[in-house]
Amino acid sequence: MKGLTHFISGVTLASFFAPAVAAAALTKSGNPDASASFILVLGGLYGILPDTFDFKLGRFFAKEDVTLEFDPNNPDPQDMANQVGQAIDKAAVEGKFIQIQYNPMRMGANLWRQYVVSYDGEKNEVSVVINEIVNTSQLPFPGTEPPPDKRIGIYKLKNTVFLEKRPKPTGVDILSGPMMGYETKVVDGKNVTSVEFLPWHRTWSHSYVLGLFLSVIAWLIAWWFALENWWLYGLVSFLGYAVHITEDLTGHMGGSLIWPFNPKRFDGYCLFKASDPRTNFTVVYTCMSILIFNLDRFTFAQPVIPLPWYSYFFFVAVIPLAIYHVIYAWAEAPIVKEGVAQAESLLARHNAARNEEAIAEQDSITG
Amino acid sequence: MEFFTILGYTLLGTLVGAVFSLFPSLHIYNVAGIVLVLWTYLGDSMQHAAVGPFFISMITAFAFINTIPMTFFGAPDESAQVTILPNTIYFMNGKGYEAAVIQGLGALIGVFLMIALTPLFYYVLPYVDVVLSAHMHWIILLIVVYLVLSEWPKGCGFGTTRLDRFSEAMGNVFAGLFTWVVSGILGIIILSKSIITHEMGFQNIMPVFVGLFAIPSILQNLVSTRQVPKQHICTDIDVTANDIGKSAFVGTVSGAICGYVPAITAGIGSIIASHATAMGFSARGDVLFILGGAITKFLYYVGAFLLIFVVTPLTPAGVGKGGLNIILRPIFTAEPGDYLMGISVILVAGGISFFLLLWLSRWVLSWVADVDYHDLYWAAFVAITALVAALTGFPGLFTMLVGTAIGCVPVFFHARRSNCMGVLLIPICLNMAGYGDQVAALFGLL
Repeated sequence: MKGLTHFISGVTLASFFAPAVAAAALTKSGNPDASASFILVLGGLYGILPDTFDFKLGRFFAKEDVTLEFDPNNPDPQDMANQVGQAIDKAAVEGKFIQIQYNPMRMGANLWRQYVVSYDGEKNEVSVVINEIVNTSQLPFPGTEPPPDKRIGIYKLKNTVFLEKRPKPTGVDILSGPMMGYETKVVDGKNVTSVEFLPWHRTWSHSYVLGLFLSVIAWLIAWWFALENWWLYGLVSFLGYAVHITEDLTGHMGGSLIWPFNPKRFDGYCLFKASDPRTNFTVVYTCMSILIFNLDRFTFAQPVIPLPWYSYFFFVAVIPLAIYHVIYAWAEAPIVKEGVAQAESLLARHNAARNEEAIAEQDSITG
Repeated sequence: MEFFTILGYTLLGTLVGAVFSLFPSLHIYNVAGIVLVLWTYLGDSMQHAAVGPFFISMITAFAFINTIPMTFFGAPDESAQVTILPNTIYFMNGKGYEAAVIQGLGALIGVFLMIALTPLFYYVLPYVDVVLSAHMHWIILLIVVYLVLSEWPKGCGFGTTRLDRFSEAMGNVFAGLFTWVVSGILGIIILSKSIITHEMGFQNIMPVFVGLFAIPSILQNLVSTRQVPKQHICTDIDVTANDIGKSAFVGTVSGAICGYVPAITAGIGSIIASHATAMGFSARGDVLFILGGAITKFLYYVGAFLLIFVVTPLTPAGVGKGGLNIILRPIFTAEPGDYLMGISVILVAGGISFFLLLWLSRWVLSWVADVDYHDLYWAAFVAITALVAALTGFPGLFTMLVGTAIGCVPVFFHARRSNCMGVLLIPICLNMAGYGDQVAALFGLL
């Protein structure tokens, strides 16, 4: 899920503790326990920390085995596909896990050449498709795509096969490019390779153990300054961290839940895509509704909201979200990155042409 | 009689707002402050019933017409394009008029959204306001924390060592963090121990805002070497019903955030709303950005002020937010029933401003390509500096200089410019929580 979704989830979870909400209130609220504390902010702060560690630290310190080399002014897709394919083949033979860094092709301060790396499990091929130049908003400049003979590069793997039929393609364009991991295992005497997106993501940072360790810091500080309900500061922090890890389990990647005791990245339940606007907005909106409800009931002796909880959530959360989902389903197109979709369709056409060519060749041989 | 007073001052406010909105780097709150001084100077000759219509229509015109200097009076070269807005990119591609029309359309959508949201203003907002008012200090800090942590590394992460890669990619993030800290300290100093004279207290933060935001923009344009391309005056615009729906949705969310939470600007509201709705990802991203940005801007300036008229038993003083509300508070109090007048004024001023925007855009675009940008920005620099000097003297100029030094950091290191809002957000958050004096004492300011 998106950073803000985790962030607001952490705050919302913290708001279920009446002493935390009371402490966070201003004295003008009339609550006798009000002390203008910032305790609820800890829920948000710890809620966004796992991804902060990954995207602002982990990614730059993860060591790649191979960096894809190219000339941004004259990229050769065949050479790029060869580099990727040969690296996967070599690692398969050596039985090693390999990480490849795909750097962006920067053409100027605001210009980037987009390329897409995709995999075909049926044909057992790695493809690189060079797309148009795009700006930092990822908007393509039509007509800047390379000529057809410089557009597509395909490498057929020799020493391994892909585990999945269609591993997810990767589009590379703006800012820093992704790193991909390729892990080969021997299954029934054959090398089988799985593709791992961002192998440095959701590893050590997405561990309940680390969350517990980091929340001890908040706990100790609160204890040192003899803050009222000092134990709550650590608890709110841990829950913020833990809710992030738990929410991420609804996606595909999961996390290394008990690192350092077991560094394995457990798979997620594949319920939602992390970037899906519907999931993110639904969680954010629901959290906002719960947050306001909790702030009201735990701050004031006589709650301000004149509705019982079921009416409140029905009118404030259920109805607006139902309207949102109906409109979304009616108006929104599927969520696919356009450059990737374009590359996929180009590859499909290319493969169809190859098939036709192969059939024609076969026909000419067989007469 | 009162009808004609309201109509007359609506037209006058629209005219004043439209004229002053054309000046690059001049903010309408500065104009409002000066008008307020003149208004109180004229005293009894000015009618009290005119205050609301005049200032509402002035800020409505600003929300429309300010598009012109924002879009047309900047020609950044390629080095700055990562940090500039899509409307300027449109302009640099010869589509400045299209950008202006889309923004005008966005502001019009903002007018209709405000009418549509009226029941919520009266039947939901007062309850939310009472609940959140008791917690506003940590909500502001929460937003600050999120903005700091969500600044995305803009470097490519190139480098031979891991440390090289880290520092190359994270330069803008550290610049953003630095900006938050120093602008926050500056804000604590300014609000605790202002060096601006008491007579000009209403413009206490004006020099620092000019320094943080206006002067760095001027400098950015002065160092730019790009020429303005020939502009195409389009007869239609490429906006679909889907674009309008999406941008209205994102614009409403961001407008609600920046229109309600104190010291949260339209830029900050847009960042949070785009993350909350996760709708930043589209090939039509620039159209949505311009349209949604215009809606947000309208709700931020006009909507925030309109809330002053939401007088209910729970909110007897209204829910008004924003700079104009603070400026007018000494002389203006809304009465129950004034909301209808407010929304009517917005409708009239908004309609006139939209057509003025179209006409003024064509007029400006007819000569803008022949103007030397450097002359224009030198003139703006001299004018804005003279205004600061005239209103606040040497102390104000000094404050402006300090603000400029801080404001240049995000501009030239490609960080978010909204980081400079630490100047208000940090001291406001501390003061609301009651820690303001303690922190000021730590700096030796008390």
